[in-house]
Amino acid sequence: MTQGRLILSETGRIVMAAIFALAVTLVIIFFASKTPWATFETFVTSPLSSKRTIGIWIDDSVKLALAGLAFSLVFQARQFALGVQGQVYIGGLFATLVAFSPLGTTWIALPAGILAAMIGGAVIGFIPGYAKSKLGANEIVSSLMLNYIAYDVCNYVLRVYLASLESGLTTSASFPPQSIYPAFIPRTRVDFGIVVALATTLVVWFLLYRTAWGLKLRLTGHNARFAAYSGIRSSFIMVSAMTAAGAIGGLLGAVFVQGTAYGKLSIGFEAGMAFEGILITIVARNRPLAIPFVALGYGYLRQGAALMNYRADVPAEVIGIVQGIVILLVASSFTVPGKAMLARLMGNRTAASRATS
Amino acid sequence: MTPFLQAIGIDKTYPGGVHANQGIDLSVARSTVHAVVGENGAGKSTLMKILFGVEQPNAGEIRLEGNPIVLPSPRAAIAAGIGMVFQHFSLVPSFTVAENVVLGGEPRAGLKLDRKKASDTVRELAERFRLPVDVDVPVEQLPVGQQQRVEILKALYRDARLLILDEPTAVLAPQEVVELFAAVRSLTSQGRTILFIAHKLPEVLEISDTISVMRGGKMVGTVAAKDATEKSLARMMVGRDVALKINRAAPGIPHTHLCRISDLTVKNDHGLNAVSDVNLILRTGEIVGIAGVEGNGQSELFDAIGGLRPIASGSVELGKTDITHISVLERRAAGMANIPEDRIATGSAGGATVAENIVATELTDTRFVRHGLLDLKSIRAHAVKLIEKFSVRVQGPESAIGTLSGGNMQKVVVARELSSEPSLLLVSHPTRGVDLGATEFIWQNIAKARDAGAAVLLTSADLSEILALADRMIVLYRGRIVAAFVNSEEVTPEVLGSYMLGFAEQSAEERNAALA
Repeated sequence: MTQGRLILSETGRIVMAAIFALAVTLVIIFFASKTPWATFETFVTSPLSSKRTIGIWIDDSVKLALAGLAFSLVFQARQFALGVQGQVYIGGLFATLVAFSPLGTTWIALPAGILAAMIGGAVIGFIPGYAKSKLGANEIVSSLMLNYIAYDVCNYVLRVYLASLESGLTTSASFPPQSIYPAFIPRTRVDFGIVVALATTLVVWFLLYRTAWGLKLRLTGHNARFAAYSGIRSSFIMVSAMTAAGAIGGLLGAVFVQGTAYGKLSIGFEAGMAFEGILITIVARNRPLAIPFVALGYGYLRQGAALMNYRADVPAEVIGIVQGIVILLVASSFTVPGKAMLARLMGNRTAASRATS
Repeated sequence: MTPFLQAIGIDKTYPGGVHANQGIDLSVARSTVHAVVGENGAGKSTLMKILFGVEQPNAGEIRLEGNPIVLPSPRAAIAAGIGMVFQHFSLVPSFTVAENVVLGGEPRAGLKLDRKKASDTVRELAERFRLPVDVDVPVEQLPVGQQQRVEILKALYRDARLLILDEPTAVLAPQEVVELFAAVRSLTSQGRTILFIAHKLPEVLEISDTISVMRGGKMVGTVAAKDATEKSLARMMVGRDVALKINRAAPGIPHTHLCRISDLTVKNDHGLNAVSDVNLILRTGEIVGIAGVEGNGQSELFDAIGGLRPIASGSVELGKTDITHISVLERRAAGMANIPEDRIATGSAGGATVAENIVATELTDTRFVRHGLLDLKSIRAHAVKLIEKFSVRVQGPESAIGTLSGGNMQKVVVARELSSEPSLLLVSHPTRGVDLGATEFIWQNIAKARDAGAAVLLTSADLSEILALADRMIVLYRGRIVAAFVNSEEVTPEVLGSYMLGFAEQSAEERNAALA
């Protein structure tokens, strides 16, 4: 299959999944809402309803994309390290430390904060990789445990050293203005984070598809035994992939705290978004260039669901169910039985037999 | 008399556009052995998958005992009395033979499995059909030949009246083939019908009553086995005369010692000795064949020399380099290349492109990688060159290697390994599941590498392959060299077979005469 046709068919599949998600959402809204059509309209159109909501959508997409990129690197190497959340907290903490240091009020504040965050994240990414290659520790378990440690270390430092009294000990003071991203559109969240996300997308793509390291990483992911047989040091590739992904996770931490949305460190600032990166990269099939688009699409649904909560008579719990179903549908349409099911629903038997062959 | 099974006008086009079966007619008489032969990609497997309900035909009809049937799934096929034994077994390794056989249709005692009844039923079944196997042993402890029997028993337990065997002899030693054929004959004499997929022609001629030949998705013809010869079948399969004959290394070329394997001991995955105290010298311009029933240390020996398994003791020298403990990359730099036994599990990365698979072993070469960056142009050009040179049938270097047929995938692996012009070439089962045309081609290229001065170490489950290619042969039994020969007319599969099964062992003098 040519590259062009592949992109077309993959895009078609994603669009199909999105349409199914919308249909299921509609059904649920019919049960939950007294004014289902109006509620559904809110769900579908509200993210575009104002400059502010558009800004939130874009800002969320930036963060989802970065989380997706971090996961795509480890997933392409077929390492199931799930430590992005921990990397975000450590990255956020390190960026905060830089912001409150003497550097924080100079022009170097932003790059220095980003660099510190990436180093912090890289260390958090490196640990499970090293433990796996030297000790045989399962990276899923060790990375998940590190998430708790990182989260609590971040909270500890925040409460003991950084918390401002006005906030009831849940956030730090605001960063000096030199340590906060310039907003591209005033009074929205559209800021320098976009540049960071797009640049990271290109860097990850370049690393994966234009460098020998990336080729080794992908070959290791496709077939680790083949990699070993070819003379690729797969344990080095594994550890370095986790470390690089950790740096991106740390970078995301910096984008959170330095972004106009926060401009400070607060408890639980990441709000579970890091894990949604898994969904983004699965839907994008770990292809870095597809990730921003998937992040925008998913970010939109996510934003629509959240606004439906505020503006319509659908309680928050229903939103959670809708989100879960959206995730389930989109993700399951990428599995073999999912594809067959989708094809059968479409009345397309040839596609069904292809999926099972 | 109505045939037991009839396929009429079966047509199958895969969504990718491959027209795998084109109006196939097949008629299988009751209580006979009917062989379907053909090259890889001829459409045999597709036809069998249709008959077993795995694939659905686009057109055509299947009749069982004259009645049209539809087989939407393997479950329906099993219910209709059709069983299939695939090349890759689907057994639960830690379960016993009886448990594997009854799995899915267990005799129960209340809510629990009635173990005794299961064992008794399976034992009875095994005796009735001459498939002797110890029913209370975990399957993982059985040799491949017996695992195959378990698969056959599974189908018989579900009362299969038609048994489809997909290349059943590919994994067996000569004596095991004899046992399998005895079982097949006992099955047909008890009214069962066998559909036999194969491409080793001597075996097909020996066991079958009727032979159907497929080529390029079409049925070329059906002949009675007694009227067919190996040559006539090969011509039908390939469409031209095939010369499966390889010239021996030309005499008079000096063979210098290249690779010295001394007291080599290698452990298997369970920490037991898989290879014990092997001493062997490989010389330039010479092919050494290693014969043995699968699981007698060949894999471990090749993995150890290839750098994929640690060497417990002993040493391997390549030229002046001690390669005992160095990495795969360093071994390859020292001149080693390796055509592995499993092209899918070891020899390729299925999801990656053909070009990426070809360059994977050359990532230190400045032609392809400079300052850590890939030179995509030259990687592509290199792949195109090898694709042409080895006439690999593929859309282009950007196709995923996993989409290629077995023969073409193997050609890519062989092309990659030979392109480095190795001085030591490890070759395991180079033509397993590869069609005749590609086999001819691969053999010629291995011989070419030998003539260019490479020392080749070859192993194959197909003894005729070793006999055709090797200049010297050794037999491994339980990880030890029990016999060594200089290839000559006197060395036959039967001679090798008796050493392979451990019935005989050469004296040290006899062995050393051929090992020196």
